[in-house]
Amino acid sequence: MSSMIYLQDVTKVYRTERIETVALENVNLDIAAGEFVSIMGPSGCGKSTLLNLIGLLDAPSSGTVSIAGHTLDSRLDGRRGRSDSELARLRNQSIGFVFQQFHLIGDLSVVDNVEVPLLYRRLGGRERRLRALAALERVGLQSRAQHYPGQLSGGQQQRAAIARAMVGNPRLLLADEPTGNLDSAMGDEIMGILESLNRDETTIVMVTHDPRMAERTHRTVRMFDGRQVH
Amino acid sequence: MIRHLLKLVWNRKRSNALLLLEIFCSFLVVFGVATSALFVWSNYRRPLGFEWKDVWSVSIDTKVVGDDAWTPQQNELIERLIAEARSVPGVVGAAGIDNTPFGFETNNAGWTSDGKRLRSEAVDATLEVPTVLGLQVAAGRLFEPADNAAPWRAVVINRALARARFGADDPLGKRLRERDPSEPEERVVGVVDEFRRGGELALPGNLFLRLTRPGQPSDRSGRRILVRVEPGATVAIEERLVRRLQAVAPDWSFEVQPLSRLRASAFRLWITPVAVGAIVAFFLLSMVALGLLGVLWQNLLRRTGEMGLRRATGASALDVQRQVLLEQALLTTLGVLLGLALVLQLPLFGWIGWIGKPVFAGGVLLAIVALYALTLLCSFYPSLMARRMEPAEALRYE
Amino acid sequence: MLQSYFKLAVKVLLRRKFFTFISLFAVSATLLVLLVAAAMLDGVFGPRAPEIRSDRTLGAYLMSMSGPDRTRTAFPGFAFLDQQARNLPGVERMTVFSVPSSVASYPDGRKVSSFLKRTDGDYWKVLDFTFLEGGPYSAEDDVSGNSVAVINATTRRRFFGEASALGKTLEADGQSFRVVGVVPDVPFVRVAPFADIWVPIGTARTSGFRHDLVGEYMALFLASDRSALPGIRAAFQERLRNTPLPDPKMYDTLHGGADSLFDSAARILLTDRFEDSRPERLRALLLGLAVAFMLLPALNLANINLSRILERSSEIGVRKAFGASARTLVGQFLVENVVLTLVGAALGLVFAAATLAAINRSGLIPYAQFTVSLRVFAWAVGMALFFGILSGVLPAWRMSRMHAVQALRGSSL
Repeated sequence: MSSMIYLQDVTKVYRTERIETVALENVNLDIAAGEFVSIMGPSGCGKSTLLNLIGLLDAPSSGTVSIAGHTLDSRLDGRRGRSDSELARLRNQSIGFVFQQFHLIGDLSVVDNVEVPLLYRRLGGRERRLRALAALERVGLQSRAQHYPGQLSGGQQQRAAIARAMVGNPRLLLADEPTGNLDSAMGDEIMGILESLNRDETTIVMVTHDPRMAERTHRTVRMFDGRQVH
Repeated sequence: MIRHLLKLVWNRKRSNALLLLEIFCSFLVVFGVATSALFVWSNYRRPLGFEWKDVWSVSIDTKVVGDDAWTPQQNELIERLIAEARSVPGVVGAAGIDNTPFGFETNNAGWTSDGKRLRSEAVDATLEVPTVLGLQVAAGRLFEPADNAAPWRAVVINRALARARFGADDPLGKRLRERDPSEPEERVVGVVDEFRRGGELALPGNLFLRLTRPGQPSDRSGRRILVRVEPGATVAIEERLVRRLQAVAPDWSFEVQPLSRLRASAFRLWITPVAVGAIVAFFLLSMVALGLLGVLWQNLLRRTGEMGLRRATGASALDVQRQVLLEQALLTTLGVLLGLALVLQLPLFGWIGWIGKPVFAGGVLLAIVALYALTLLCSFYPSLMARRMEPAEALRYE
Repeated sequence: MLQSYFKLAVKVLLRRKFFTFISLFAVSATLLVLLVAAAMLDGVFGPRAPEIRSDRTLGAYLMSMSGPDRTRTAFPGFAFLDQQARNLPGVERMTVFSVPSSVASYPDGRKVSSFLKRTDGDYWKVLDFTFLEGGPYSAEDDVSGNSVAVINATTRRRFFGEASALGKTLEADGQSFRVVGVVPDVPFVRVAPFADIWVPIGTARTSGFRHDLVGEYMALFLASDRSALPGIRAAFQERLRNTPLPDPKMYDTLHGGADSLFDSAARILLTDRFEDSRPERLRALLLGLAVAFMLLPALNLANINLSRILERSSEIGVRKAFGASARTLVGQFLVENVVLTLVGAALGLVFAAATLAAINRSGLIPYAQFTVSLRVFAWAVGMALFFGILSGVLPAWRMSRMHAVQALRGSSL
């Protein structure tokens, strides 16, 4: 199997005017296509930073990040201009995100929320709508398409968020504590959806606190103080 | 994308309503000021039709208030005054007129001709007025000495009145108004392109110049003498003029004002309200601009998470900036459309009158441009902020 | 309670400097415009030397004469004032004077234009001029037509430089006058006291005006007591009705009134023939204009306030969670907003004073002396409070409806 995610000697340092914080130090990671990997570790251990690097939301201070065959060098640290729009396209085509706080836009209906990633592709309005409804059907939320996020339960909101992450058919899904704000029953429900997506060959990387959830993944990467521990 | 943003703007109508109202009100303010400024400007650029340099206006205070007490003796005295003025060394020509150029008093005549209701300014003037003021004839002729002896009153009309009264017909030799048989006929002898007695900023309109014939009690003399003096005439000439006039009519008072001074004060009177309006509007708009900047900035901060999410799902930094600007443009469009809906009622009800369609359209256009410029300027900094947000941090923002 | 509100308000305002700055700018600019307008109105209508007894003074400033098919609107005529309007019950003293007319003089080959007003001797007793030098002319001077004049400071400078003017003669309107007194300049906008040169009515070269019912004279009536004013107004109307008109076929009715300055403004602005004075309407009109003007700034401030509140939604949530009632929060917010507008008003007042000084200096209005008086200051406070509440009510209402939980969470994206 080819690798979907390949991180080599990745270090991330945050610099403010006075202090320098090392968030990641010499991380090496190789995740194959189709894997379901969880990342665990205490707060502040750098797991979110790792996920942001994988998600191309942030660039490493040194080292190489390679996602779905696209290599991001630390020298190509651009977030603006051409390289920024390239990164944006890569995120749009290849990566889906699910967050602990759902991040649904409260002033848009569920189906409009799901459509958001498609807005940044050249697609007609009808096509967008059809795909969004299909994605909602997949998470069992088609009946709630015209509702607003505020009218949904936490679990339903997270399902809508997953539908949004999947609507563009990305090969990689990144989930940042997707069950963190949910009770265990809803958490199981979300986990079930993620597992079914993984069965359809979506690579999933999930940050979690919950060992129960981590057990359900193929393997777990443990982090401590910005370093991988095994 | 636009539909998506429209939805977003529409669904935020509760929080956007107040902003929308503010944009709407600002539109009305800019429209009002822009239209009046444009009107004053376009009016100013139209030709004046007479020469005011080296002309003095002598106003005669006869100590008689109403027109009822007007007597032939007074007519005769004023004729003598005009003759006296003409004989003062340094004076090139003198003429009698009822209302001075650049003055604010006007006599208006209203009548019905061929079923048309007409309104026009009426100026009573002696034979020499066209010469003293340097009027240029466009058709026919100006007053001639022979007119003084004619049984009818010679009338010179402006182009606007010729069009309103006679349409495409040749007005020369025709009767201006059908009047009581006891009053002398008014016969059009000439047409001038323009004689804007009120000055560059006075409202455009119809005007006719009616000859005051000496010795005719029906023809009332004006209470002003227009005097053309040699260039560079001094106060000494003015003093001599007043003393000579005073000697002819010891009971009356005379005041000499160069037309240049009357013109300056007329200017001030027209410009002051527009200038005050413009200054106040400037204050209002800069206030609105600052307020808008603050509100948009704050709104954007509240939406940091959304911006982060959009970046994560594939929007580039530029996309996000464009979105902020576009949303503001949409909101502005809504406000402007509301304003337009109100403002366009004016021509529908025929309430733009002498403002004229081009000026009205110009005012509307200026208001639209100004509103977009203002709101986009105010959203530019917030949009830049949106562009510079680190998506990873934006997503963590609480 | 209010004190702690106040302290909190100041703290909050200092914390958010940018918002405080733009709010202050908005408030002070708005109040600047309103205050300049108020100060100008006060300068025209308020009590000012030499009209310090305006609370018990009425004037006949306007008059019209109308018939079946014509109307003449002008000022009262000398004949009416002198023969019909004297000895109104309750009037302590009355003066008749002309509308100022523009006259030219040519001292030393220069030209000086002045406004000349002809008055009776009592003019100087009804109005309280302070004399820079000399004194007024008397009723005796008026009756015998003595060629004496009182001039203002500017006229003295124009004719005689910095020297004393007493006893010197000046020529105006083709007549010579001996200066007996000099008074300070009076603003052009004060109808009754304004002039450059005052001379007795008796010096007039003509006598035609003595027969005019409607003409170019005015009168002031100084009442013995404020309570006499309604009686004087009524008696004046009575005299108007009972005055015989020479040619009833042409003119059959006289209109006018014994008015305060503001009444006469209402008369000239709101009626065609001066038949009626409705000061309450003019007041409502001015108030309406002021409110209409405030609309946009208030909207602007309301918008700023709203986003200030939303920004603080979590603070509000915490307060609610700890038991603050919606009422307390709204109260606190309104106090905050009013503090802001009052500070803005203070700034606006300073700017207004500067603007008025600039208007006075510009010479746009001759001898303008607009100042921020105590009345205008009171206006400023009133307007600021109104403005603060106007722009604070809607945001406060929104705030009161914010649920604690929702506020704590901050609304969703």
